[in-house]
Amino acid sequence: MSDLNTYAADTPATAEGGQGSVGDYFALLKPRVMSLVIFTAFVGIIAAPGAVHPWIGFVALLAIAVGAGAAGALNMWYDADIDAMMKRTAKRPVPKGVVLPSEALGFGLTLAVGSVLVLGLLVNVTAGALLAFTIFFYIAIYTMWLKRLTPQNIVIGGAAGAFPPMVGWVSVTGSVDLGSIALFLIIFMWTPPHFWALALWKKINADYTNAGVPMLPVVAGPDETRRQILIYTLLLFPITLLPSLTGTTGLFYTVTTAALGVVFIYHAVQVYRLREGVEAETACKKLFGFSTLWLFLVFALILVERGLGLPAFAPVLG
Amino acid sequence: MNDAMTKTPFGPEDMSRRKKRAAVMALILFALVVLFFVTTIVRLGSGVADRAF
Repeated sequence: MSDLNTYAADTPATAEGGQGSVGDYFALLKPRVMSLVIFTAFVGIIAAPGAVHPWIGFVALLAIAVGAGAAGALNMWYDADIDAMMKRTAKRPVPKGVVLPSEALGFGLTLAVGSVLVLGLLVNVTAGALLAFTIFFYIAIYTMWLKRLTPQNIVIGGAAGAFPPMVGWVSVTGSVDLGSIALFLIIFMWTPPHFWALALWKKINADYTNAGVPMLPVVAGPDETRRQILIYTLLLFPITLLPSLTGTTGLFYTVTTAALGVVFIYHAVQVYRLREGVEAETACKKLFGFSTLWLFLVFALILVERGLGLPAFAPVLG
Repeated sequence: MNDAMTKTPFGPEDMSRRKKRAAVMALILFALVVLFFVTTIVRLGSGVADRAF
């Protein structure tokens, strides 16, 4: 017993853990990513055909949000080594040393299991299973496997960020329909140009190079990245119109989204065209900023259409 | 209780953080109880009192 007391008195608290504040644990949830997940999942719930009790919709949204937070915590647990090497991420709780990796792992696993169980038991089993797959995909497929292996990490890993509106949709309908796949595809195709625009920034690119993360600009160079950004942006344009073909959206969404798509393409062309100096850097920053706004607006348009009771097109697909 | 028994590896700031974490955990647990209770009521629906056994 005296040995235990001596150990307790002499061991520094940092070695024991328990140093993290409530704010540190909140930061583990990646609140900014979580807010995007909540918004897109909410749109999925609203866009889905049929109705769900508002309380059940709230429970679904809460479970999806916590599941996203769990994925963030597990990502920070696994990526603590490379996070410590990058300026952008060095102040995260695990590399900063205020939360132990084991604490982040336990926190993430608890939230992951809890959110999947809540969604599966209180909403529906299909939605719970899809949330479980989303967390698995983000951690095992993206974080553990693809992120450090291939410059296509963002392309395939982007699927994890594209699932939330589908999970929201399935929470209402209980099945994966073409309309939910259309919402999935929009975020899936949006992810590469969005993150590659960020990765082209000099200081971000230097971060990835230092950490050995094979982002496309690091491996294939900025010129190839610019070409890929343009290709994905051009492919994104018709995909954005898919919800109208599946009968989810109508004329207002279609016309406004088409106009927003033209602006997106303009920014991508600017990134492709301007390759040197401050102008090139500015073009990348503008594309990154606009792409964030673009995704918000595209999903907000669906909400607006539903809110105003505007009619959707008759489904051509499905 | 001897002196060694009262020593902990945590200072006053650490203990304050732990207390705040514990308080938030208690709130979350309480919220979960409410969540499950209300969801059960919503799932059962309004006709539950009239059902035939």
